[in-house]
Amino acid sequence: MALMNGAQYIESLRKLDIKVYMFGEKIENFVDHPMIRPSINCVAMTYDLAHEAEYEDLMTAKSSITGKKINRFAHLHQSTDDLRKKVKMQRLLGQKTASCFQRCVGMDAFNAVFSTTFEIDQKYGTKYHENFIKYLTFIQENDFIVDGAMTDPKGDRALSPSQQPDPDMFLRIVEKRADGIVVRGAKAHQTGSINSHEHLIMPTIAMTEADKAYAVSFAIPSDVDGLYMIYGRQSCDTRKMEEGADIDLGNKQFGGQEALVVFDDVFIPNDRIFMCEEWDFAGMLVERFAGYHRQSYGGCKVGVGDVLIGAAAVAADFNGADKASHVKDKLIEMTHLNETLYCCGIACSAEGSPTAAGNYQIDLLLANVCKQNVTRFPYEITRLAEDIAGGLMVTMPSEKDFNSDLKVGSMTIGETCNKYFKGNGKASVENRMRILRFIENMCLGSSAVGYRTESMHGAGSPQAQRIMIARQGNIAHKKELAKKIAGIKE
Amino acid sequence: MKYGIKFCGGCNPRYERGSAFKSIIADLPDKVNFEIAREEVDYDGLLVVAGCSNCCPELKGYKVKRKPIKMWDEKHIDQVKVEILKEVDVT
Repeated sequence: MALMNGAQYIESLRKLDIKVYMFGEKIENFVDHPMIRPSINCVAMTYDLAHEAEYEDLMTAKSSITGKKINRFAHLHQSTDDLRKKVKMQRLLGQKTASCFQRCVGMDAFNAVFSTTFEIDQKYGTKYHENFIKYLTFIQENDFIVDGAMTDPKGDRALSPSQQPDPDMFLRIVEKRADGIVVRGAKAHQTGSINSHEHLIMPTIAMTEADKAYAVSFAIPSDVDGLYMIYGRQSCDTRKMEEGADIDLGNKQFGGQEALVVFDDVFIPNDRIFMCEEWDFAGMLVERFAGYHRQSYGGCKVGVGDVLIGAAAVAADFNGADKASHVKDKLIEMTHLNETLYCCGIACSAEGSPTAAGNYQIDLLLANVCKQNVTRFPYEITRLAEDIAGGLMVTMPSEKDFNSDLKVGSMTIGETCNKYFKGNGKASVENRMRILRFIENMCLGSSAVGYRTESMHGAGSPQAQRIMIARQGNIAHKKELAKKIAGIKE
Repeated sequence: MKYGIKFCGGCNPRYERGSAFKSIIADLPDKVNFEIAREEVDYDGLLVVAGCSNCCPELKGYKVKRKPIKMWDEKHIDQVKVEILKEVDVT
C-alpha cells in the first residue's frame, strides 16, 4: 500500500473497533468526538506532510527492509544522518501543530525492539528478530500508526514487579500456550493509543529472574478482544464540548492525547512475540527506547517552543510592547533556551553509532542531557511567554461575552468587552483574544499536557535521566584529568 | 530542459522556500521545465532549495547530468536564475 494521506488515515480509524471509555461511558464514535478529534488531526499531519514536496525529505525515508519509500516514522535509522533527520522532522511537526503529534513512541519502539531482539536471539537462539522484521514490514507496507507502550502503573514504587501486592501493577504473562501467551495488566499515560492501529508493548524497568513473567514484548491490533482504553483528562478539556467553541479553545484544530490501556487477559500469537521471560534483556530494551525517546524531545518540544515564542512576539505586537527592550530580551532568552534543546537533540544524533543489529542508536549520555534540559527549559519558556502576554490571557471573558448583545446600561456586554480589551489598535480585539487564548492553551490549557508536564515526565522523569548521566558521565576520567594537571600522583 | 526540484524538509527555514522557487521559475524561459525530483527519472539539472546553510537534502539517488544548483538563502535567488540561464544558453 502507498503512503496514506491524512484523510485516508482518519477513515482507517473508523474501520477499527477500538473500545474507548470517557466520563464513565463507552464512546461509540471516538473519531468525531470533539475532545478526541484534535489529537487525531495532529496524527493526520504526519501523513499529510509526507505528501508535500517541501517536507518529504524529512517526512519520508527508504525502507532498509523493502527498499520502498515509507513514512520516516516507520523507519529504522541507518545512519547518524537519519537520526538528525528524525529530530528535524519532529521539530517541523511541533511547528505545524503546537501539540504532541503522538507518532514518535512507535518509531522509538521499532528501533529499540529491532536491536534488542537481535541480541536476545544471539544469546538464546530464539526467533524474535525474525518475528519483528516481519511485523515491521507489515507496519511499513500499511503505513500504520503504532503506540510504543512501555509505562506500567507500577503500584508501590519501592517494590519490584513480582513483589507487588497486586500482581497486575506491571503487565505480565498469565498463561503460556503452544500457540502463544495470555497477558494481563495495563499501560498508563499512553500517548496516542486510541489513534493507533497497533500497540507494541515493552517492559518498563530492568528486571531480575523473579520478575521473568513481566519480561514481555509483543504487538497486537488496537481493537483486539480484551483490550480497552480509558481516556485521560486534560486541563480545560471540556471547553471543546461547548457549542460553537473556537477562540476560547486557543488551538481548535490540534491537540494531544493520553489514555490508560488495559489488557484483560489478551491472547498474543507466537509470531507477534518479541520477548518472553528473557528478563536479562528487559533493561536493555528500556534503556534503548528511553534513549531514543529522550532524543525525540530535542525535536518535538523545540517545534512547539518555536510556535510559543512566535505567539509571545505577536502578543507583544498587539499589546504595543514590542519595542520595549525587556520584551526583546525575553524573546532572545526564549530562543536561546529553545535552541539549546535543539542543540542537544542534534548532538546526541550526530554522535550516534550502529547497534549489533545494524540500525543506529543515539549517544546515550547526550540524549539524557537533552531530556534533562527538557524537564526545565519549557517551564522557563512558558514563564516568559506568560510574562510577555500579560494577565489577560487568564482573566479575559469568554468568546460569548465578546459577541453578546445583552444590553447593560448604555452598551451591550459585547461592546463593553470590545471597548476595554482593545490593545494598541493595530490588531482587532478578536485577534488579540485569539493570540492570548493560544498562549493560554500551550502554557496551562490542554496543550500544556504535552508542552509542560510531558516535558517533565514523558520519556522518564528527571531522576531517571540523572541516574543515566551518573552512569555515563565518566567521572573517573575527569578525576585523572584534574590530577594530571594539578601534579597529583596518587 | 528538464529540471528536478528538491526541497529540504523545512524544519526551521530562514525564508519562504516555496515562494522563492516560484519567483525563480517565473523568470525562466518556457523551455525550462521543473518537476518534483524523483529518483527514477533522468534530469538535465537539479535545483536544491534548502531553508538554511546546512542544506541537508539527500541527493545521491538522483540521476542528473550536471552538478546540482543549491540555494539556502533568499539572496541566492538571482544567482540561481543566472546559473540556470547559463545552462540553457550552453544547451
